Amino acid sequence: MARPVFGRVRAAGEAGSARVTHLDRDRALVEEARRDPASFDALYRRYLAQVYSYAYYELGDHHEAEDATERTFLAALANLDRFEERARPADGDGASTFRVWLFRIARNVVANQRRGRRRHPQAPIEAAALVADPLDIEGGAAVRDEAAAAWQAVGRLPADRRRAVVLRFVEEMSTAEIAGVLGRSEGAVRVLIHRALRTVARDLGRDGRPR
Amino acid sequence: MTLFEREGSEVEALLTDRYLERVLARATGGPSSGPVDALLNPVLRDAADQLRRDLVRVHPSFRFEERLASRLAEAAAALRMPTAVGAEGGVVPIGVLGGASLEGDDGDDGAYMFDDGELDRRELNRPLLIGGALTSAAISLAGAAWVAWRTRPARRGSAMVRAARAVREARLAAVHAGRLD
Repeated sequence: MARPVFGRVRAAGEAGSARVTHLDRDRALVEEARRDPASFDALYRRYLAQVYSYAYYELGDHHEAEDATERTFLAALANLDRFEERARPADGDGASTFRVWLFRIARNVVANQRRGRRRHPQAPIEAAALVADPLDIEGGAAVRDEAAAAWQAVGRLPADRRRAVVLRFVEEMSTAEIAGVLGRSEGAVRVLIHRALRTVARDLGRDGRPR
Repeated sequence: MTLFEREGSEVEALLTDRYLERVLARATGGPSSGPVDALLNPVLRDAADQLRRDLVRVHPSFRFEERLASRLAEAAAALRMPTAVGAEGGVVPIGVLGGASLEGDDGDDGAYMFDDGELDRRELNRPLLIGGALTSAAISLAGAAWVAWRTRPARRGSAMVRAARAVREARLAAVHAGRLD
């Protein structure tokens, strides 16, 4: 059962008065899903693309990403009663401990799947085409090349750095959320991302050194 | 790595973190530049900008989305608990004898007076939950039998016979109400 957690947030320019806010932006949806499991659909729709993207970046294959996504959501639905909200006032209004919990499940599912096949993810080149402008063929090709290079550089990172980068750039998670998903301290996550950026910069030839 | 280098690395990690906060906030109308930008290594800044641009979120196919939605709906339906044990059954009134109260005619206080000959004249006006879960009906009948046995010491036969008779009477009462066959 979720702890009833409320935080007092002082809005900018609001002197002396404080408003009470829910700490977890998904609280209402989670409570509704607990009352009626059919309502889980709202949480599913909200996080489908995020979970799928994470799985896709980790596994590099649409079918495997679909499989991991399916397992993640089925496990989340079956274990929703075990979810415990742990939002802190410091996490701010947009924090979702449900998202962190969901991604922890996804991380385990993906890790199991990767363990099963023992193969590094392929850089999904076709996905890089998504960011190119279809009307600008020449420019589009350059964008595609650059995107593919970025994907490949991220794919070559050690697993913990790659996960941190994907959660930061693709899922747009805060450092605190990433720390929750990876089970690391916030300081450790900052260092992981910093090192990953250094490696990617070197890989992309941005540091002036020859690749 | 020396302590100085380590601290320098942590400071740079912190600067990178601040920069990324701002880069990610740009999409939601955040400021386009911040005070720490100049302090951060431009190589890291460029790499962060490129990853921000190129690492797009990938959406699954619509077909997959709907298929999984159906699968989750099925799982949710399976998870949904029954309304309540026994709540799907009806309330069947099993009455004490018409005209008779809970007081027995032989003077036994609180005795249920079920008499085979008088059964058709009895009004079934005492509610008892029957139906729904089998166990709850069985417990109800057993409970009625126990009460009858405890409160009818004057009837003939052994305790077991009286209990069996009471069960039979309760069952007949239910049949009379047309709810149990």
